[in-house]
Amino acid sequence: MMQMLLQALPLAVIFAGAFVMMLLSRTRTFGLGRFNLVAVAFLAVSFLLGLLQYGGSAPRLLWQGTFGPAFIVDDFARLFDLMFTAGAMLTLLINTDYFRSRRYYNGEYFALILFSVFGMMMLAHTNELVSAFIALETASLSIYALVGYHKNNLISSEAMMKYLVLGSMTGVFFMLGTALIYGAVGATDLTAIAAFMQHAGEGEQTMVIVGGTFIIVTILFKIGAVPFHSWVVDVYHGAPYPVTMFMASTFKIAVFAIALRLYLVDFATVQTVWTPVLQAVTVLTLLGGSWLAISQQTVKRMLAGSSIVHSGYLLIALTSAGMGSQVAAPAIMFYLIAYFLSAVGAFGVLSSIASQSRRQMTYEDFKGFADRHPYLALTMAVFMLSLSGFPSTIGFLGKFYIFSGAIESGQLLLAGLGILTAFISVYYYFRLIAMMYFYPGEGEAQKLRVNLSSTLIAVMAVLIIWGGIGTSLIPFVPGADGIIDVAQQAVAALAVPTP
Amino acid sequence: MMEKVLTDIIFLPFVAALLLGVLRAPLGWLRLGALLSSLGVLALVLAVTAGFDPDGGMQYMRHLPWIANYGIAYFVGVDALSLVLLLLIAILIPLLYLYMWHEKRKGYWYNMMLLQTGVTGAVLSLDLILFYLFWETMLLPVFIMIGRYGSGDRQRNAMKIVLMTVMGSMSMLLAILYLGYSYFAATGGWSFDLENLSTLRFSPLTSVWLAAGFLLAFAIKIPLVGFHTWMAPAYGSSPTPAVVILSAIMAKLGAYGIWRFGYGLFEPTLKLYAPFIMALAIIGMLYFAVRAVTENDLRRMFAYASGSHLSLIALGVFVTNLYGWGGSLYFIATHALSSAGIFIMIGLLYKRVGSISIGALGGLAQQAPRFALFFVFFALSIAGLPGTGGFVGELLIIVGAFKADPLIGMFAATTMLAAMLYVFWMLQRTVFGSAGACSSACRDLDARELAMLIPLALLLLVTGIVPSLFTPIFEPQLTAMLAMLGGAR
Repeated sequence: MMQMLLQALPLAVIFAGAFVMMLLSRTRTFGLGRFNLVAVAFLAVSFLLGLLQYGGSAPRLLWQGTFGPAFIVDDFARLFDLMFTAGAMLTLLINTDYFRSRRYYNGEYFALILFSVFGMMMLAHTNELVSAFIALETASLSIYALVGYHKNNLISSEAMMKYLVLGSMTGVFFMLGTALIYGAVGATDLTAIAAFMQHAGEGEQTMVIVGGTFIIVTILFKIGAVPFHSWVVDVYHGAPYPVTMFMASTFKIAVFAIALRLYLVDFATVQTVWTPVLQAVTVLTLLGGSWLAISQQTVKRMLAGSSIVHSGYLLIALTSAGMGSQVAAPAIMFYLIAYFLSAVGAFGVLSSIASQSRRQMTYEDFKGFADRHPYLALTMAVFMLSLSGFPSTIGFLGKFYIFSGAIESGQLLLAGLGILTAFISVYYYFRLIAMMYFYPGEGEAQKLRVNLSSTLIAVMAVLIIWGGIGTSLIPFVPGADGIIDVAQQAVAALAVPTP
Repeated sequence: MMEKVLTDIIFLPFVAALLLGVLRAPLGWLRLGALLSSLGVLALVLAVTAGFDPDGGMQYMRHLPWIANYGIAYFVGVDALSLVLLLLIAILIPLLYLYMWHEKRKGYWYNMMLLQTGVTGAVLSLDLILFYLFWETMLLPVFIMIGRYGSGDRQRNAMKIVLMTVMGSMSMLLAILYLGYSYFAATGGWSFDLENLSTLRFSPLTSVWLAAGFLLAFAIKIPLVGFHTWMAPAYGSSPTPAVVILSAIMAKLGAYGIWRFGYGLFEPTLKLYAPFIMALAIIGMLYFAVRAVTENDLRRMFAYASGSHLSLIALGVFVTNLYGWGGSLYFIATHALSSAGIFIMIGLLYKRVGSISIGALGGLAQQAPRFALFFVFFALSIAGLPGTGGFVGELLIIVGAFKADPLIGMFAATTMLAAMLYVFWMLQRTVFGSAGACSSACRDLDARELAMLIPLALLLLVTGIVPSLFTPIFEPQLTAMLAMLGGAR
């Protein structure tokens, strides 16, 4: 019992934190700074608890007596937990200045962030479809509210409406799929479904396949895969900067957590049915996302468009994993870590600029940025290089693993297309570097404001470089090699049968 | 100590840049640090050369695990091929630092130091992923130098060179990944080690497209005609040191890559490509020569001239006999020296006159005789004046081409004639003739400028007059490689 409690503690801390923040949000005596501090404290405790538990132990079900097989604790989920809590902490810390400069932020913001982190953690831990739906909706609902957090801003409200209506629509598909699967299998936990699929005849599988397809539609919508992408650019654009950062860094990763688990554990036997569909979606996503990213004028929208392309890369790996590549599943984990670092960094820079000025931040606005803010520009350049997959950054290794997985599974054309879109991405990412560095800046170079957000951003940039070239020759410091080991270990946990 | 020397050579400039950057060195320290780092590299490279055994194949190797799960290693080594390029880089960079001694923009110095690490690393890498890393990262400083410190439509031209070269590298990356996977499929373990990968055998169709992946990258870097559209704009917009690096070093890396990776991995397939590439090279030699004749801007003129000569080098690489190969390698070195010389002279001219348009110049000889002397010398060395190193290289390639096929030989010889044509015509209008833009304000060369030009000129003379000093360094290896190709046939 005690041990179960310990296992559940990282989640429980966040859950408790969310309620505490909700209760506190009405108090007038608390300033934003203090709200921030309390929220980060909860996240940090959860992060540390997760870190201590990480590694080694066999997967086990959480309170099987009460919840049945609904929740599972394994290294796969724990690694995701770490990313969510870290992402939320970074979001809060980097944006300290930002929401001080905006009047519309108050205590609920922090409660919503924590609720959505809780939903995402649940999603990573879930081993059953109904709880997955609940987790997904917990995370999504909080995010819908966060997107429209700036109530008086029309763009923000419009983005929220768009996201809410479309998101709820597709969320229903998940439930419908679950119902169909329940109809066929008589259970909704992944282990039972997997067992059913292994022994069922072809005719019996049909309903599960149809149900699974509905579930895949929801997942594809949440990661912004083409043709379910119509919301991405507007929602990313309309949401306040910290929320965009939060969505890009954590929510997308959370959806991949459930996608990986479903795809690798549950539906493994019928991957032949979905692989062609996923391949088609991948092609559309890569090309459509690239087109969207190229055609944007503001940097935030470009990053939104390019986040679709990154979903496309991840889909390449997902199909490769389905086609028997050993590399691909760890590649997804690694790529998520790489994308996490780069996207958090890039959006962090954007919102730290936004906290000082009210510009739209088009490409043109970045002219001469390197002269005005040499250090911020340098870190932004690092993030852009990493996102474009330039060697010597962690983004390169991420693409390296994904493309080698695609080649391993025989998907040469998809690998080729991925490389083509990576080439296209050089254009829109380097365009920003060019804007920052190639034009003289007006006015004096501003001194670097050494504060928490600039320090964190710098740390992320260093991590990105280290993740790309780090050597394990230095004792006690894990190199680039170490991260892929972690990813492999996490995915290996999925293959271990639960007791 | 000596097994680490290549690592020191690669990373000394990078570490220097990092230290100076962290210390926020003032300009004086910065340029001193840059110069000292490059001289340190030069000393180390000379030590390597002194201890180099021409019959020893790959030497000074160092192999460290990097990303062990995927067999990616930090694997460097030097053989005769890479030694030639290594020497070139080590000699040219300190001279370029002398050229930019009064350069006040700090980023310029940092970029040059990073660039040195990039090109040196690419030359010495024996692991394909490591090679790719350096091959790509050396592009960044060039991108920044053109876009930030260049002239003309620099932003656009910087973007253009990046996009075109990245397009090539991406196709190479796909081929590299496929090679690594094939090794995995064959042996059960990943590897990107050049030696390991060269043991793989592919079906003809597979190796045709794999080779294409690599060749596209190299063809763009060289550049062969058709893949050259970035060249003239980039040369035109670049600041002088970047032009020198582009033409003297980076373009040569394309030819080097064909040798190292093309012949190393897909020798039989390369024979299928040879007729096409040789045809492209011949078209390039003539087409670029014609463009050079009609060009009025000095820098663009020599950009095209350099394209013409690089096509000749590419031709030599595909003429698989000792003359062709020896000539190409020799010409790689000497053309680098003479093109560095001429582009530095053009840079100096621009600083003095403010114009490098051939029509506006004239009468250099009267105003600045020493300047004119060096200018004429380097221009003639580009045209392959007997007694300069360029002549030896070109002659060897042409002889090799004649041995392979008299028709190709004749085309190759035409390049030399065409070069004479545009160089003499240019000289006549700039150095002699009536005084143009270069009026009495035209300073002659000062001591610092002489200090960077004299070594180049001396090296060109020595390589031109006593080639027998240098050929023994690389001939044994080329003979051995050719013998292996003969064996494979």
